[in-house]
Amino acid sequence: MAINVLICDDSSFARKQMKRALPTEWEVEVHFAADGIEGVEAIRQGKGEVVFLDLTMPNLDGYGVLETIRRDDLPAMVIVVSGDIQPDAQERVKKLGAMAFIKKPIDQDKARAVLTEYGIMTGA
Amino acid sequence: MTDITITEDQRDCYQELSNVAMGQAADRLARLLDAYVVLPIPKVNMIESSELDMAIQDAEKDTAVSAVCQGFIGSGIAGEALLLFKDTSFQDLAALMNYQGPLNRYGELELLMDVSSVLIGACVHGIGEQLEIHFNQGHPVVLGQHCMAEDILRSGNHQWTKTLAIEIHYTLEHVNIDCDLLLLFTEDSVLKLNKVIDYLLD
Repeated sequence: MAINVLICDDSSFARKQMKRALPTEWEVEVHFAADGIEGVEAIRQGKGEVVFLDLTMPNLDGYGVLETIRRDDLPAMVIVVSGDIQPDAQERVKKLGAMAFIKKPIDQDKARAVLTEYGIMTGA
Repeated sequence: MTDITITEDQRDCYQELSNVAMGQAADRLARLLDAYVVLPIPKVNMIESSELDMAIQDAEKDTAVSAVCQGFIGSGIAGEALLLFKDTSFQDLAALMNYQGPLNRYGELELLMDVSSVLIGACVHGIGEQLEIHFNQGHPVVLGQHCMAEDILRSGNHQWTKTLAIEIHYTLEHVNIDCDLLLLFTEDSVLKLNKVIDYLLD
């Protein structure tokens, strides 16, 4: 069964880049969200078993999404993909329950490394 | 000259490239000052050189600032980076940098050059890296100390009439440090940049 993957980023270019970075052999159904509010909505609909989450977004930012996931106990494994690479930002998102942190710009190698390290990519 | 514009997709791409570059610059600054830099969404616009002051937020216009400008060029693409540093920020910056000397014009200048070399260098390099362009940087030039931001932006003698302007507004958490970084590309460069961007978008 294909895993539902959600890419949540306000930039359409970044969403495209992220989708391209997913390992081709990984059996997934990719969904998109353009801000945190759409992202949370998609997760509630079960579209975000694995979520690639940007931090700097309008309406509801990545921190807000992580807080909502934790508060409402939503089923999502979150990998933060962000241009904000300060040590503090990485620490904050880990505390909020993010599984991993990937520095932008994303590429196939970085995505594959994290997916393998955390055993998220199965059946490959 | 043909009218240079950018499409919504191109704007989005410039914004994302800036977002990554400003994050790298913020990381450098955060490590230098041991503080957290708040990152906004960068503003990308095509503007006339006569309305350069439109590139920054209204709230910033009538603030006293000290400003540095530094040109960069590579692969036929040229532009300049402009850092507008709020004068009220020097006190806290001196404290974070452990600056021991007197905080007069010269002391401020030293701090300003330190911050601008970190922010401008990392940001220009970050954008270049993503576009696979190596930018050479010129010497930094001090445009003024204790001037109105609006006056600095209006005083420029620019060769272009229309430019791509990227505004990044940096603030620090818990301390009073506030500055604006503007990246301005020349008119000719925008056409070339757009081609590179289209390639990325393809």
